[in-house]
Amino acid sequence: MILKIALKELKEIVRDGRFRITAFVVAALLVAALFVSKSYYQSVNAQHNEAKKNARSEWVGQGEKNPHSAAHYGTYAFKPKYPLSLLDNGVDKFSGVSIYLEAHKRNEAQYMAAQDQTALSRFGDLSPDFVLIFIIPLLIILIGFNSFTREHENNTLRLLKSQGVSSWKLAAGKWLGVFIPVLLIVVPIYILAAIFLSNIKDYGQFSLGALTILFGVYIIYYAVFTNITLVVSALYRKSNLAFVTLLGIWIVSCLAMPKVSTAIADSLYPYPTQVEFEQQIAEDKKKGLDGHNPWNEESKKLEQETLKKYGVDSIQQLPFNWAGFLMQEGEKHTADIYFKHYQLLKDTYVNQSKVYRATAAFSPFLPARFLSMAISRSDYYSHWDFADAAEKYRIELVGKMNGALMNNSKYGDWDYLENDKLWTAVEDFNYEPPTYAAILNLNGSNLATLLGWLLASSLILYAVVNKIKVI
Amino acid sequence: MLEAKQLSKNYNGQAALADLTLTVNKGDIFCLLGANGAGKTTTINLFLNFLEPSSGQALIGGKDVTKEGIETKKLLAYIPENLMLYPNLSGIENLDYFSGLAGKKYSVEELSRFLLEAGLQTDAHKKRVNAYSKGMRQKVGIAIALAKKAEVLLLDEPTSGLDPKASNEFSELLKKLSALGVATLMATHDLFRAKETGTHIGIMKEGKLVELMTTDQINHTDLEKLYLKHMN
Repeated sequence: MILKIALKELKEIVRDGRFRITAFVVAALLVAALFVSKSYYQSVNAQHNEAKKNARSEWVGQGEKNPHSAAHYGTYAFKPKYPLSLLDNGVDKFSGVSIYLEAHKRNEAQYMAAQDQTALSRFGDLSPDFVLIFIIPLLIILIGFNSFTREHENNTLRLLKSQGVSSWKLAAGKWLGVFIPVLLIVVPIYILAAIFLSNIKDYGQFSLGALTILFGVYIIYYAVFTNITLVVSALYRKSNLAFVTLLGIWIVSCLAMPKVSTAIADSLYPYPTQVEFEQQIAEDKKKGLDGHNPWNEESKKLEQETLKKYGVDSIQQLPFNWAGFLMQEGEKHTADIYFKHYQLLKDTYVNQSKVYRATAAFSPFLPARFLSMAISRSDYYSHWDFADAAEKYRIELVGKMNGALMNNSKYGDWDYLENDKLWTAVEDFNYEPPTYAAILNLNGSNLATLLGWLLASSLILYAVVNKIKVI
Repeated sequence: MLEAKQLSKNYNGQAALADLTLTVNKGDIFCLLGANGAGKTTTINLFLNFLEPSSGQALIGGKDVTKEGIETKKLLAYIPENLMLYPNLSGIENLDYFSGLAGKKYSVEELSRFLLEAGLQTDAHKKRVNAYSKGMRQKVGIAIALAKKAEVLLLDEPTSGLDPKASNEFSELLKKLSALGVATLMATHDLFRAKETGTHIGIMKEGKLVELMTTDQINHTDLEKLYLKHMN
């Protein structure tokens, strides 16, 4: 019987011209977005692979050099573009694609896509996530807003109710009547995305399981919106009132709440500005050891301690090159400073995330958005995981260079050179992103909130449809 | 089949229906007459469990409609004054849907036969209902009742606004159903039809049943006189 109700709802929806046009537009938008993203992804991926190769060959082919100079010469770490970011771009546009790795300095990722764009890009890119997370809920509202109200308006409710159908079966049928059209759009897109992603050359870490989880998240999100739409439709007798109310709910949960929670998070846990951040680091650096300045107070102190430890009178008598040792100690010191300050940033990020999690109780959009970005590996967490790995690699690389200076050369021998033997001995930067299990684990509360929305809205729908009055 | 026991409905202390007691047996066509606001529609809404009674009981097939709303509705068919269907669906699709809701499954041929039996011409069966006249919609209503194999018919001024021919056809159908043992409760303004079609007549005034008789006890002229006497 539920299926019968659903079929009749579908028939009515399909025969309504408005739906046909809207569904066509949404599907066309999604397919277009998918194609645009696909070609963008392919070109970025090709650039990435080429740049990565170039960076490596430049490092290996830098010629004979003092190893510390080689550390200054440095190399680049490139952030991989993940296949699912084709569906959800997340913050990729703003987070930069490569990090310059050099001695003494932790650099920020550079070359954000947003830098290359015009002011028009403020209107947003045509990417699948825009359609998936903003537009499809609107489509759900459009399909379902009059699901119950039109029974009142057409006066069909009396006849309907006189047939002896239970309220929950009626609601379940109507629910399917709204949800099936959504599936008819989303499922082909899922299949299309799976085909695209598994056919892209060098597609890296594509996992069908992750794509399925991603769509699973969206399906739950749509189920929540379907519930909300039917609850409102069941509460009102007039379609236009239901429609306006639902639009209001959409605006609040998809447009206003994200901004409000960002504002709350920023005012409670503000990030330092770039200038402040750099100043604080410079301040700390000044107080500490400087590898390039042997007359610096801290350097002198380290010199005394080291001489004492090895029981010698002068740095020339040390079993290693003092200059290299000093460089490496200075490097460790600055690395610690960077670690401390980036840790502070991360603490702020964690605190802000808590605010988002709290506000997610007021908007199903937020947990869905965060889950989508996390699974697509295009959120800040993914970016930072990469940046941390790059920093770790930088410390190792510089450490190896300073180590070569320290152990292979004599103090005062500033003309000492190393060659590609050492350069190739440094392994290429190979980044392993966090596993999906780790990502899901980290986003457990977002998933729980979204499921909480599903449960709560289902219960409310059940309660509301049982209260529909014929008269 | 249909039974009201001291059935009352008050709105803010105002009695819309007071102490109604009546029985409609199998094969009976019980016609409720009375002015607008006399409580006829309230009575039907109470049997449909669309309204909660203030006191008393409405029983269908011996079951209390407030306690077994779904079960009692399975026994009845309801045709309101202006029967509305889904305009984007055809007559046959509407019939299929509503009889499906009542838990019945029919083939297209069977559905078509019900519509034909209710007096709807074959060429209209597959047309969308938004092109139907009121009489055609009422016929779909009858077909729904036929398809449901209803034992009870609740009719709320079903012939108002129908032309005399359609109205007559409707009455013939009611008689046919009555012969099959269907119990009918019909609210109407049509004294002539009530006398012609009905087996019992009740006159209501201000929520009370003031007259109750069988149609063979009274002729048309006397019925009109009696009715007008109560109305003035």
